[in-house]
Order: sequence, then structure tokens, then C-alpha cells
Amino acid sequence: MSQAAPHQVLLEIRNLNKNFGGLQAISDVSMDLPAGVITTLVGPNGAGKTTLFNMITGHLVPTSGTVHWLGQSLNGIEPWKIARMGIARTFQDLRLFSHMTVEENIMTVMERNSWLWQTGADAVRKRVDEILEETGLADKRTERAVDLAYAERKFLSLARIMASKAKLWLLDEPASGLDPRSFDRFVALLREYAAKGVTICIIEHNLDIVIQLSDRVAFLDQGKLLAQGSSDDILKDPHLAAIYFGERS
Amino acid sequence: MLFVQLMVNGLQTGALYALIAAGFSLIFGMTRIFHAAHGATFTIAGFVFYECFSVLQWSWPLAVVVSAIAAGIFGVLLDRWVYAVIQRHEGSFFTVFVASFGAAIVVQNVISIVFGRGMVTVTTPLSKSIEVIPGLFVAPMAGVAILCAVVCFAILQYLLTRTNLGIALRALGENPNLVEVYGLTPRKLSQYVFLIGSVLVVPAAILTATTSGLNPSMGNHIMLISIAATIVGGVGSLRGAAMAGLLLGMAENLCLAFIDPQWSEAVTFVILFLFILFRPGGFYGRAIVS
Amino acid sequence: MLAYLQNIAVLFCINAILALTLNFIMGYAGIFSLAHAIFFGVGAYTAAYLALHVTDSLLICIAASAALSAVLSMVLALPALRVRGEYFVAASLGLQVIGVTIFSEWKSVTGGLGGMIGIPPPKLFGYTFGSQASYLTLAFVILLAVLGITALLVRGSFGRSLMAIRDSESAAQAYGKHVNAVKTLSVAVSAGLAGVAGTLYAFYMSFVNVEGFMLDMSILLMAMVIIGGTGTLFGPIVGAALLMALPAALTYLPFIPQSELGTIQQIIYGLAMVLLMMFRPGGLVGGRSKEKSA
Repeated sequence: MSQAAPHQVLLEIRNLNKNFGGLQAISDVSMDLPAGVITTLVGPNGAGKTTLFNMITGHLVPTSGTVHWLGQSLNGIEPWKIARMGIARTFQDLRLFSHMTVEENIMTVMERNSWLWQTGADAVRKRVDEILEETGLADKRTERAVDLAYAERKFLSLARIMASKAKLWLLDEPASGLDPRSFDRFVALLREYAAKGVTICIIEHNLDIVIQLSDRVAFLDQGKLLAQGSSDDILKDPHLAAIYFGERS
Repeated sequence: MLFVQLMVNGLQTGALYALIAAGFSLIFGMTRIFHAAHGATFTIAGFVFYECFSVLQWSWPLAVVVSAIAAGIFGVLLDRWVYAVIQRHEGSFFTVFVASFGAAIVVQNVISIVFGRGMVTVTTPLSKSIEVIPGLFVAPMAGVAILCAVVCFAILQYLLTRTNLGIALRALGENPNLVEVYGLTPRKLSQYVFLIGSVLVVPAAILTATTSGLNPSMGNHIMLISIAATIVGGVGSLRGAAMAGLLLGMAENLCLAFIDPQWSEAVTFVILFLFILFRPGGFYGRAIVS
Repeated sequence: MLAYLQNIAVLFCINAILALTLNFIMGYAGIFSLAHAIFFGVGAYTAAYLALHVTDSLLICIAASAALSAVLSMVLALPALRVRGEYFVAASLGLQVIGVTIFSEWKSVTGGLGGMIGIPPPKLFGYTFGSQASYLTLAFVILLAVLGITALLVRGSFGRSLMAIRDSESAAQAYGKHVNAVKTLSVAVSAGLAGVAGTLYAFYMSFVNVEGFMLDMSILLMAMVIIGGTGTLFGPIVGAALLMALPAALTYLPFIPQSELGTIQQIIYGLAMVLLMMFRPGGLVGGRSKEKSA
């Protein structure tokens, strides 16, 4: 994976708006996601966080505003093409390929095209082994995704995104419900890939997770970006805390 | 004059198709179950009426009621005993569809064993066409059909907008989880949906029995109409399905001015295909692109 | 006796090919088609027409049937799959209905209700397939070839893409799968190979008419796939064998009148479909392999 210069801005969001027939879901949001930085998106339920992700991945078309990835506009490009440009995401409900094995889940992500004969089969196999080791799923490789335990499924979800060679990871509540030991392993993996230059953006509700994981925090409420900055700045702001916990001024 | 005749026929057919399509659309829109046995419900309703009225010589109100009960029970029991079981352990589109389809096959064949494979008609005094104006033949039954459809839709409209049950049913279609907040269960509501959806075909079945007749395999045609109308009208829109049913009925008859009768079913398909091609959202639905 | 068995064997091979190809899209891609009999029919009519009017070369007829069926299926698939699975079911039902009408009415090409008769035996590199035994060999070889092609596709990266799309289309898209292209291609392969089965059928029977390609046939094929087991390589073959054995088995039951054999058959597999979906959705071979997704 070629290294981007540390902290070079890879994803630029400018004045993004999304209107659903009268409901303003996202309002004039501008954000930068730099390489090697873990940014967490926080905010109350319904703030528009997943909507924002959907507009980056191409599942929703913005009403106005731009999203630029590596200098190229993503407007109007289909989701699968955006995925091939190096942007990958996980889902809150995981959406693993349930009837396929762990190994197949990872392999299929690595198979760019679906031709019968794949070049570099050895390299693929090596990488699959590596990923299985890193995520601790090596002894589950022939288990079907639907048969895995909860934590294992979360790691498989992460394994898929690791296999995708994506440079931007959009993670939707990836660590929720993990026991402390798994959680530490998870954080370590994310930090490792961030150090390699991957841009990571996480949607998270659990503030402990936010504190441990984030380099930067962006606070979204009712579709507006209220604040962004270092995690210390944002999390210590009493005004934002009030909004988060539901007491509004 | 041929044209006017065809239009009148089309209106009659369209009214019946509107009812059938509304029933299917109601079920599909609210429970997301692709009820491929909807055609079977129609066939059951028609043949039960035939049996009660023509064979057993009961009075027509009694026959109608028995027919409605039969249709309703079929729909509800299928939901309760088959769909519920499937949804409990897995409930994918495929599994439910196949089970539904299997049930339809069983019904079609059982009916053909009991009643034979041919056409049966119920003759009533209202079935005979009267020459209303020179060249235009209308059976009073046509008027009954249209009136019935209008009344049924009025009742449905009232049910869905003014009663608690109706509002709960609409909520079920939008957001099943929300329903639980009100202390209702999606499962129980789903049975009501099947009851209403199944009973909706009863007037159509009875009227078809008295006009063009019934045969055990007509369920397939009914399904094609139901599905086509639901898509053309827009998934999730009852009004759309009803209008599309009317459109398909009119088209099926009007095209007879230009082509042979064997091709009339093809017209339905062509309309469906055109909509899928150019306006998959149908009249009223939102285009659901995955 | 030998002739009787050979006949059953050839028909079994043809049905097995049809079931395998239908399973390719139903079990592996999760696409439900009610029009498989039509693609079978297009292949059969194409081969028949070519053999009667142009050439009796086996290779040309197979190639043409496969191509025509594949192209027709893409015409159906491209618009319908773009939207949603249910639309494809609807469109395929429509195609099945309109296909039967076209087969019955287009007299100049299909011979109308009477069909086409007197189809000459095919030639391959100078060898004429005259005897029943030669047809059996041909049918068996083609069955093996189709099985081989299916296995190759399913066990490789194409199969993985297909299954990923079946298990979660949105996730497959999010990981770069060109969903529409993969689905359309799988439909084309499925229909093309069904067309090949059609060629086999037309030459073997030496006559074709619409009776073999009606909705009942599509339903029978669906039943074979479901009962045998979707998403498994040998399930459809088991299903084909079982459902072909059914009519023969039924004749041994004394209380069933001859005229109702077909009806009883349909009731049995209708019931089988319902019960299997309730308790064993993976079919006989697949088992309980269809629990809720991860």
C-alpha cells in the first residue's frame, strides 16, 4: 500500500447538503479527513452520521455540495466504482456474507474482478493468511460467517475492510459490544493501519470508545457539524455534552 | 361501437382487477411477503361460491358469506401456519415465495380434482347481456361489478384512515418496529392484513364466476395481474395498484380491437416491461433501487 | 426394456442440465426465474429451425441456441435486475406467458400449435447421431460438461462474487462488486446452457412443440431445484432424478386414476415445497443451510 504523506488530506467534504423532500438531513457540512488520522463522528441519534457516510460511498446523492477523494469528485459515481477507488465501509448490522466461510468472505473482497482465472493467486492466499492472523480468525477460516460468535463477526467485518486495500475506512459502530480484551485488540489493529497511512472515520456512540480511539472528533447534530477538533477539546465542551445527552438550551 | 363495447368490458374487467391487485398490494406492501398464493385465494373464493350457489342451491347472500369466509381463512391460515413458521427461523424472500408458490400449486390441483379441469360458470339472471343501445351489450352484472369495486374501496379507505386498526396496519407497512411500541404485535396485525387482502378478492371472484367463468388454473393469470398492477402502480401504493388494475383491465380489452385474443395477456406483460424499463417506481411508488 | 431405460436416461440428462442451470441463478445468485422453460424452448426451436432449413451441424446448432437464449435472457435481465429481485420474478413470469403465446402463434417460424416435425439427426465431424445409444452418450457428455462449467464458475471467484451478492447485495456493492454485471452474466450463462439442453431435446425427440415449454415445466424445474437443494452442486441432479421417478412411482399406487397422475404429482411437489421451506429450506441435499444472516 503506497504511503500517503502523513496527515495529507485525502477526503474533502465541502458544503454538503442533503434534503429528503423537506427534511434537511445534512446541512452545510464541511470536513477534511487526513491520512493516518482516526476521526470519530459523534452526535445524538438521527444526527445524520450514517447519511453522511452514505453520501461518501455513493449510496445517496447529495442535494448540493461536493465530496472529493484524492482530488477527484465523487458526485454521481456509482457505489461499486467508489469502492474500487479505495473507499470501503462497514455496516452497523455487519452484513457479512453469511453463508460463505470466513476465508471466502475475505477472498471475495480481494478479487477485484470476477474473471474465472485470477492472477496472483499465491499473493492472495498469503494476504488472506496474514489477515486471518491479524484478526485472530485463523482457526475459524472454514467456519461459515453465520456460525461465528459475536466478537468474531465484528473482527470478520474488520478483516473484510483490511482485505479491500482501501485507503479510506468508514466504520459504522465497529466496536460496540466488544469485551475489553477484544476491544483492545481492535483498537491496536486500527492504530496499526492508521500508522500505515489509512484514513479512518468512525461513527460511534460509546464515549469510552471515542476517547480511546480518536485523534479527532467531529460533532454532528441535526445534520449540522457543530464542532470539530481534537478529542480533548470536543469532549470537554459542556455545551456539546448537553446536546449529546438530550438537554438542549 | 366496437370501441365503446370494448371500453365497457374493459371497465368491468378493470374494476375486478383493481380489487384483486389492491388485495395483493395491501399484503405485499404491509408485510413484505410475496404472497404468490393470492391467485389461489381467488380460485378458492370463486369455486366455493359456485359450489354453494349453483350446486348446493343456497341463497346468494349465504354463498357470498361462505365464500368470503373460505378465502379469509385460507389467507390467514397460510400466514399463521406457514409464513409465520418460516419467518421465525429465516424468512428470506426466496423461502416465503417458494412456500407460497407451493401452496398455490396444491390448491390449483386439488380444485381441479374436485371440480374438473374445465370451465365452470355460475348463471344468474344478471349475467345475461342486454342490448342497452344498438350494438352495445352490457350485462347488469357489469354494473354490479363496478359498484362493488367502488363500495369496497370506500370501505377500505375508511378502514385505513379512520380506524385504529387501519392506522396500525399502515404503520406496519412503514416501520414494523414502531407497531410494537403501541403494544401490538406485527404478527397479529399481519393476520389482519391477510384477512382483508384475501377478502378483497372475493367480490372479484364471484363476479368473474358469473360472467366469464372459472377454471382451476386461472390463479396464474390472477397472479400476473396482481404482480403487474402492484409494480405498475408502485409498490406500497394501494391507490396505484387499483389504478393499475383498472388500466390493465382496460388495456386487455381495448387491444382486442387490434389483435387476436391470444395476445391479450401479452399486452399485460408489455405494459409491465415498459414500466420496469422506464419507470420502475410505477405511478406512485418511489423507485426502489437497491 | 433397454430402449425404455435409455429413453429415461436421456430425458434425465436433459432435465438435470435444466435443473443445474436454474440452480445456478436461484441457489447461487438468489435470482428467481419462472421463465426457465422458455429459454429451454428458445434453444429447442432454434436448433429445430436450423436443422430443418439451414444445417444439421451439431456445433452450429448448439452455438446458435446458446447465443439466442443468452441474448434473450439479457434483454430481460438488464432492466429488471437493475431495480430489484421481485421485479425479475414478475418479468420472468411475464416472459413465460408471452413466450408460450409466441411459440403457439408464430406459425412461420415455430410451426404454431402443431410444432415442427421431422427434425434430422445432428452431425458432428461427419458422425451422425442416429441411434438412441449415441444420443445417450451425447446427452451424458453434455451433462458432464455443464456440471464442469458450473463447478468451475461456482467454486472460483465468479461464484464467490455471486454468493456475496446473494448474501448481502449492499455489502457486495460496498466492496466493489459490479452487481448488475455479475447478475446479468449469470442469467446469460444459465439461459445459454438451458438453450443447449433445448438443442439436445429437439434433436432427440425429432419434433418440438409448445407443450414442453409451458409454465408447468418452469414450475417443475423450480421444484427440482428446491427439493433437491439450492446452492449445492448435486442437489439439482438429485431433484431431477426424484421428480422424474415420481410419475413412475405413482403408477404403482392402485388407487390413483390414470387421468389424475399429473395432478397428484403436482400436489406432491407443491406440498414438498411448502414443507421443505418450513423445515428444511436447504432442500434434501442442503439441509438447514438457510438460517438467518449474520
